[in-house]
Amino acid sequence: MRNSESSKQVLLEVRNLQAGYEVKKGFVGAVDDVSFCLHKGEFLGIAGESGCGKSTLAFAIMNLLRDNARIRSGEIDFQGRLVSALSGEGFNKIRWVNLSMVFQSAMNALNPVLKVGEQLCDAIHAHRSISAQKAKERAQQMLQLVDIGPERYDSYPHQLSGGMKQRVMIAMALVLEPQLVIMDEPTTALDVVVQRTIIEKIQELQQQLDFSVIFITHDLSLLVEISDRLAIMYAGKIIEEGPAQDVFSHPLHPYTHGLMNAFPSLSGPIRRMGGIEGKPPDLLDPPKGCRFFPRCSQVMDRCANTYPPEILFEGDHRVACHLYEGKGDMQNG
Amino acid sequence: MMLGDLWKLFLENKKALAGLLILLFFVGVALFAPWIAPYDPRGNKLVDQEVLEESRGRKQTVERTQLDEFTEERIYDQTFTTRTKETTVKFPLKSPPTSKHLLGTTHSGQDIFSQVVWGTRVSLSVGLVTGLFTTLVALTLALSAGYFGGRVDEVISLFTNVFLVIPSLPLMIVIAAYITVRGVVPIILILGLTSWPWPTRLLRSQVLSLKNRDFVRVAASLGEKPGFIIFREILPNMISLVMASFFQSTMAAIIGEATLEFIGLGNVSVVSWGTLLYWAQTNGALLSGAWWWFLPPGICIALIGTSFALMNFAIDEISNPKLRKR
Amino acid sequence: MADRFILELKEVSKHFPVRSFRRFGQVVHAMDEVSFRLKEGEVLALVGESGSGKTTTASIIARLYPQTSGKFVFEGKEIDPGRSGKRNLAYRKKVQMIFQDPFSSLNPTHTIFQILSRPYVIHGDAAGKKGLRSRVQVLLESVGLEPPAQFIDKFPHELSGGQRQRVNIARTFSVEPLVILADEPTSMLDVSIRMSIMNMMLEYRETRNVSTVYITHDLAGARYMSDRIAVMYAGMIMEIGPTEHVIGQAFHPYTKLLRSAAPAPEKGLKRQKLVTHGDIPSLIDPPSGCRFHPRCPFKMEECSKRIPDWKEVDAGHFARCFL
Repeated sequence: MRNSESSKQVLLEVRNLQAGYEVKKGFVGAVDDVSFCLHKGEFLGIAGESGCGKSTLAFAIMNLLRDNARIRSGEIDFQGRLVSALSGEGFNKIRWVNLSMVFQSAMNALNPVLKVGEQLCDAIHAHRSISAQKAKERAQQMLQLVDIGPERYDSYPHQLSGGMKQRVMIAMALVLEPQLVIMDEPTTALDVVVQRTIIEKIQELQQQLDFSVIFITHDLSLLVEISDRLAIMYAGKIIEEGPAQDVFSHPLHPYTHGLMNAFPSLSGPIRRMGGIEGKPPDLLDPPKGCRFFPRCSQVMDRCANTYPPEILFEGDHRVACHLYEGKGDMQNG
Repeated sequence: MMLGDLWKLFLENKKALAGLLILLFFVGVALFAPWIAPYDPRGNKLVDQEVLEESRGRKQTVERTQLDEFTEERIYDQTFTTRTKETTVKFPLKSPPTSKHLLGTTHSGQDIFSQVVWGTRVSLSVGLVTGLFTTLVALTLALSAGYFGGRVDEVISLFTNVFLVIPSLPLMIVIAAYITVRGVVPIILILGLTSWPWPTRLLRSQVLSLKNRDFVRVAASLGEKPGFIIFREILPNMISLVMASFFQSTMAAIIGEATLEFIGLGNVSVVSWGTLLYWAQTNGALLSGAWWWFLPPGICIALIGTSFALMNFAIDEISNPKLRKR
Repeated sequence: MADRFILELKEVSKHFPVRSFRRFGQVVHAMDEVSFRLKEGEVLALVGESGSGKTTTASIIARLYPQTSGKFVFEGKEIDPGRSGKRNLAYRKKVQMIFQDPFSSLNPTHTIFQILSRPYVIHGDAAGKKGLRSRVQVLLESVGLEPPAQFIDKFPHELSGGQRQRVNIARTFSVEPLVILADEPTSMLDVSIRMSIMNMMLEYRETRNVSTVYITHDLAGARYMSDRIAVMYAGMIMEIGPTEHVIGQAFHPYTKLLRSAAPAPEKGLKRQKLVTHGDIPSLIDPPSGCRFHPRCPFKMEECSKRIPDWKEVDAGHFARCFL
C-alpha cells in the first residue's frame, strides 16, 4: 500500500540495536548497530541473504530472543514507549495486542492435533479474557477475513493447503488488531501463484485494518513491488535504506547494485548478468572496516579499515558506503 | 560423521567419558581377575600345607635271595616319611564383610569378593558377545530389508514384527526351560534369538530414510553398484545409530543374562553375577539380611547398565545437534 | 546446433500407487501423457508449481524408476524401462541429474576428493591414485573452487551452499554427460550466488554442447536460462515453445496466470489484481478433461469433458487448450 507522506507519525524506532548469540567462543553479533524508523501505515521491506541478521532483528523487536540469544545494547521505541527495557511480563502485555509476528514456515507452527479454529481461540484467550463463545465468533470472523470459509474452523492443519495454513497464521497475527505485523519470509515456501494471492491479501488487509508491516525476505524482486520503503541488510548491518522504487532504480551501495543485478527479469532484453562472488564474513569476529569490502567491485583503500559513514540523500535515501563521502549529508555513523 | 571426529566428540562428552571409564574398570577387573581375586571363588576354605620335614626317616628292608653261586637278588623296600603340617582355615559361613573377606561370605563360606571379580568375566563377555551378535544380525537384516525393499522387505518385516510382538522374557524362559544343555553359550543364543527384532526395526527405518536421500540417488545415477551403495554410502551414515544400538543390546543382554541365571535357568555352577544372585536368593540372603551377598552383584549390574546408558545418551547427543549443549 | 533430437518422450505417464488402506487401489497421477523432444545442445525449461510433475519427469529421464506407460527414446534408441546391467551403466554416464538441495546431494561422511573421484572409479577411468588426485584438482578449478587444495580434503558441511552446488556440478560434468537434468539447482542458494551457478551451466552448454532440462518454478530464471519452455500443471504439459514466445505471447490461461503472478519490479506500481481462485488439484483424483478447468477464467463446457489436443499457436509453439 502506498501511503502519502502525510501520515508521518513514527510507530517504531530502533536505535543502535545490537543483538546476537552467546557461543563458547564469544558473541556472534547477528544485528550490529542497526537503526531505522517505521511510520504508521508504512510497508517496510527488509531484504538480505541468509545470515544477514534479519530474523534476529525481528525476534529482537518482538522480545522473543531466547536461550543464548539476547539484545546486547540499543533501544527500541514502540508508539513512543521504550519497549526494549520492558521485562518479559511487561512485554507480554503488548505482544500480539499491539505488535505481532508471522514466522518463517509458519504453516509448520500450527499444532497438528488441534483444530485450526481452536488454535485461533487459544491466541485470543492468551491475551484477552473473553467468553469462549465470543472468542469463537472472533476466530470465525478472522478466518473469513483471510478468505477461508467459516466451516474450516473445525479443520485440522493437514486438511488445509500450504497457502491456507499461511493465511491462518496471518489471521492469527491480526486477531487482536495490532498496529504492527512483522512477517518473516511468509511466502518463501509457497508456490508463486499462491504467493501472489497471499501478498494481495496482505495488501488488502493493510488497507482495511490500517496496520504497518515489516516484511522480511531474500526475494528482493518481490519486495520492490510491494514495499513503500526498503532496507537492505548485510552481515548484521543496514547498508542502504530508502523508498523502494528509488532503491530499485538508483541503487547506491555496490551490494544493492549487485543484488538488483542478480535477479533475471521477465521482460526486457536478456543479457548476461553477474552474481556477487564470495561469501559474507564471520560474525563472531567481524572485520573492522566495511563488511562488504572483500566482495566489492568498487573497493578503495579505506574500506578495509574504517566503517563507512552513513550518508543521507534526498528523498530519505541513505547508504553506508565510502563512495559517497562528501556527497549528500553525513549522518552519525 | 567420520569415525575420527565421532571418537573425539565422544571423548569430550562427560557422559561418554564416565560411561567409558566404568566400562574400562570392569574390563580391567575381568582381565586381571586371577590377580585381583584373593581366593578361589568356589572354595570355602584355605588349605595351607607346610612340609616340616622331608624324609624324616627312612625305613629300609632288604629281601635277599641267592639264586646261584654267583647271583644274588636283593629286593629293597624303602619307605620315606615326611612330616607335613596342614592348616585348614575354614571361611566363616554367611559372614558380613571383614578384612579377610571384603564382601563377606556365602552360606557355604565362599568369598563373595572373589566371586564378584571372577563373575565379571562371564557377565561382561556374555553381554558383549550377545550385543555384538544381535547388532550384526539386526544390521544385516535392516540393510537387506531397507535397501532392497519389495519382497525381501516384506518377508523380513513380517518376521520381525511377529517376533517383536512375542514377549521376550517369557519366550526366553520357555526356551531355557526346555533345553537340556545348560551353560553360557545357550544363554547367548537365547538372548540373541529374542532381542534382534527391536534394533532391526530401528536400523531399518534409518536405512529407508537414508536410501531416499539425494546422495544415494546420485550414487545410483552415477552407476554405483548396490553393494557399494550399501557399504560406502549408507552404512557410514549409520555409525552413530549402530553404536547406540550396540550399547542398548549389550545392556539388555547383561540384564537378560542375569535374569535367566537368577531364575536358575543358566548353569548354576558357573560363577557370574546372575548365578550369584540366584544362590543368594535360594539361600535366603534377602530374608536374613545378608546384604553383602546380593547387593554387590546387583550394584555391579546396575553400574554396567549405567555405563552403557551413559554412552548411549552421549551418542544421542552427538548425533542430534539439537541436544548438544553449547 | 544440429536439429538432432537427443531425447524424446512420447506420451509418458507415471502413476504411483497410494500406500494407504483407505485409498487402496488408487494412484497418484504424477505424470500423464507427457511428450516433448530435446534437441542436442538446447536448454529446455520445465516450469511449474508443486505437483506439476516436473521432478517426476526428470526422475523418469534419469531412470530412477520406470515409467508406467509411454515411450522414451534416447539417441534414437528406445529405452526399455526394465533393463539393467551394462547398457544401463553407459546410459548413466550420458544422462546426469543435479538436485535441488546441494547439501543432501553430498554424502556427509565423504571428503570432496572421495566424492569427485568416485565417478572416475566407477566408470573405470581411474588413472592411479596420484592421477586421480590431480584430475580432481583440475575439476575443482573448472568450477571456480580455487585453490583446489583448500577444498579437496574437506567435508561437505565445511563448505557453503554455493560451494557445495559447485561440487555437485563438477561431479555431474566430470562424467561428460550428454544430457543434464537440473532440478531447481539454485532455489536453495543465496540470491547473489544463483547467477554464478546459472552462468556456469550456460557456459558448459556453450563449450560442450550439453543438452539441459532445466526444472524450476521461477519463470524469470527459466527465461534467462532456456531456449524453449514447457509449462506443466498437475502432471501434464500445458504449453511448450520457444522461450520468448511462451512468455511474451503466452497462450494457455495457466501460463498467463504464472506470468502475472511472478514478481516483476520493473513494471512499477501499476498492477492488475490476479484473477484466480482455487488451488492445485489433488493428483490422486485429478479434474476430468483439462486439469486446469476448475480454475480457468475462460472455462467452456468442453474443458471438463476431455483433454484438449495440441494446437499450434505459432511456429514451434504449442498449447493444450480449446480456446
